[in-house]
Amino acid sequence: MSRLDEHAEIRKQLPLFVAGALEVDAESRVALHLATCSDCSAELERWQLITGGLRRLPTPQPPAALFERTRALAVAQLAQHREHRRNRIALALLILFSWAVTLAGWPIFRFATGGLLSLLDVNFRQTWLLFVVFSVGTWLAGGSAAVLLSLRRQQEGRLA
Amino acid sequence: MAASIASVWEGPLGIDAAVVKLRRGDPDALATLMARYQNRIYRYLLRLVRQPADAEDLFQQTWIRVAEKIRSFDTSRNFDAWLFTLARNLALDHLRRMRPSSLDEPKSGDSSEDTMVSRLPSPGPGPFEQLLARERAGRLAVALENLPLSYREVVTLRFEEEMKIEEIALVLATPVATVKSRLYRSLAQLREILETSAGGEVRA
Repeated sequence: MSRLDEHAEIRKQLPLFVAGALEVDAESRVALHLATCSDCSAELERWQLITGGLRRLPTPQPPAALFERTRALAVAQLAQHREHRRNRIALALLILFSWAVTLAGWPIFRFATGGLLSLLDVNFRQTWLLFVVFSVGTWLAGGSAAVLLSLRRQQEGRLA
Repeated sequence: MAASIASVWEGPLGIDAAVVKLRRGDPDALATLMARYQNRIYRYLLRLVRQPADAEDLFQQTWIRVAEKIRSFDTSRNFDAWLFTLARNLALDHLRRMRPSSLDEPKSGDSSEDTMVSRLPSPGPGPFEQLLARERAGRLAVALENLPLSYREVVTLRFEEEMKIEEIALVLATPVATVKSRLYRSLAQLREILETSAGGEVRA
């Protein structure tokens, strides 16, 4: 490579050199050239004026009230998020509990009404029909209770 | 390349205690992180959207988003990159909604110093030096403000936020080579703007 080509090549790399964005070997090649070339060193200084200026640009300050306003909003969001999570867990547990009650309640119900043995009866149709009616009844009661509780909670929230 | 990006994602000082506490829903940890990052996030947003009122609005949205999404943040990763990515996505959405063309075009018309530059605090004491420094910083800030968005953000992340090239690539979700190429072009364009405005060489 001729000396002229080398200058052109090095100068092309100077912006990335001052930005610290060159690979290690390219960086050392540029540094080696700069040590012996005053023209390229002068060119480097021009780039450094820009990057140095950028690094020293004063930081614009956010308005003082913005911090408090934002903090209050973000904390409220955090609390809301926490409550949603708690509600999701409570709902999942409630569903599990409801299923447990439904499954455990059915034999008790049959026993109480004197039909425990009919669980093993060949007459499935009647047994499963009763089971479906019982389950739907249980779930409707549970669902209504949940809706009523949630409405009441919303009302309390509005009043508070 | 993949290894270098992975090393950038890894938090340099391990898991930040405030981030871990925030994931558990601690509001004090949120205040700690906000205090630590408020100036940087506000500056970054202001560089992207250029209007202080918009930057303030996006600043609020960013921290609300942090409160919403913090549980999905992997604490073994780099929190800075995650936070700046959130802020950037909100700013880009805002710019797309406001004016789709503004994502790539230089600021039209108003290039005076009454928006961002007027909000810059004075660089320090000293009569004549302060005047010179202010004038120089003002010209540079105006030149930066007039760069296209993709150049502006790479410059502010590299020189103001002092992020590594690989870290910038993560925030912008672009390859390292693209970041370098944008950095090169943005510096060349800045120099051109400054030389034109100074009527010649870049001056000290």
